[in-house]
Amino acid sequence: MNKHQKITLLIGLGIIILVFIVWFSYGGELFTKTQVLIEKKDELFGTTYKEWQNKFIWGLDYTLYITGATVFLCGILFLIFRKKKAIQ
Amino acid sequence: MTNLINIITSILFLSVFSFPQGFNVKASGEQTFNFKPGDTNQASFYSTTTLEDVQGLTKELSGTVTFNVKDFSTIHGEVSFPVLSLNTGIEKMVKDLRSDAWLNADKYPVISFKLKKAVNIKQVSDSKIEADVIGDFSLHGVTKEDTAHATITYLDESPMTQQRMPGDLLGVQAKFNINLSDYNIKHLLLGKRVAEKIDISVNLVGSNK
Repeated sequence: MNKHQKITLLIGLGIIILVFIVWFSYGGELFTKTQVLIEKKDELFGTTYKEWQNKFIWGLDYTLYITGATVFLCGILFLIFRKKKAIQ
Repeated sequence: MTNLINIITSILFLSVFSFPQGFNVKASGEQTFNFKPGDTNQASFYSTTTLEDVQGLTKELSGTVTFNVKDFSTIHGEVSFPVLSLNTGIEKMVKDLRSDAWLNADKYPVISFKLKKAVNIKQVSDSKIEADVIGDFSLHGVTKEDTAHATITYLDESPMTQQRMPGDLLGVQAKFNINLSDYNIKHLLLGKRVAEKIDISVNLVGSNK
């Protein structure tokens, strides 16, 4: 493993760890949500009803997409850098 | 003496359970309330599994109910909403819900509850009662009798109610649950993402004008 390959590996691992940290900070939801339900009070009847609020919640699906793309790109770069070493 | 106690007990029992129960409000006789789609006329569902909790909501709930103000057991009518109005906040799941594998919105575009009668009516106050409302719930082409536990509030027309809409107002909050398999929904595509037992909540505010 040459220097470029090591850097590629570290950057790839860094991106994957960062993506999982972001996912966890959003509450570790399974699916990405674009809206969440909030409760509102009906003052006249003293009851509650629900309302959609636009809010982006990062889910495991997005996390896996980015992880997959990172692994794919890093894999290609890893191979490219190996070939460069062979030429040298 | 024992016979006398039995007679008094029977009279008390009959007086409690045989007299019609309804609202003690200004209105009397049969009243019809209309519910139009809007913020407070909504139905929501809740599903919980080990993987994830899923909530859905529609604000397109509409319908009509009629009952005798002094005898709530006479309630009848229907409320419904279009399947296409259901939203879960998860775009992929909304598409799945509408698909053939789930609710099949093209073939069965409407979900409805046809009210037939109310039982176990309990007077909470002059304008508020709790009751079990029995009706036919139709979903995915299957109609099945179900019972919803409801809290119903009747508000006479006043300056305060007029700010919302004209006429006497009826507020309804109801809850019941269904098993998806009873309605031929096998949820194969979504796997364990949605539970077999679904809790349904209904919130309605309507006017008699």
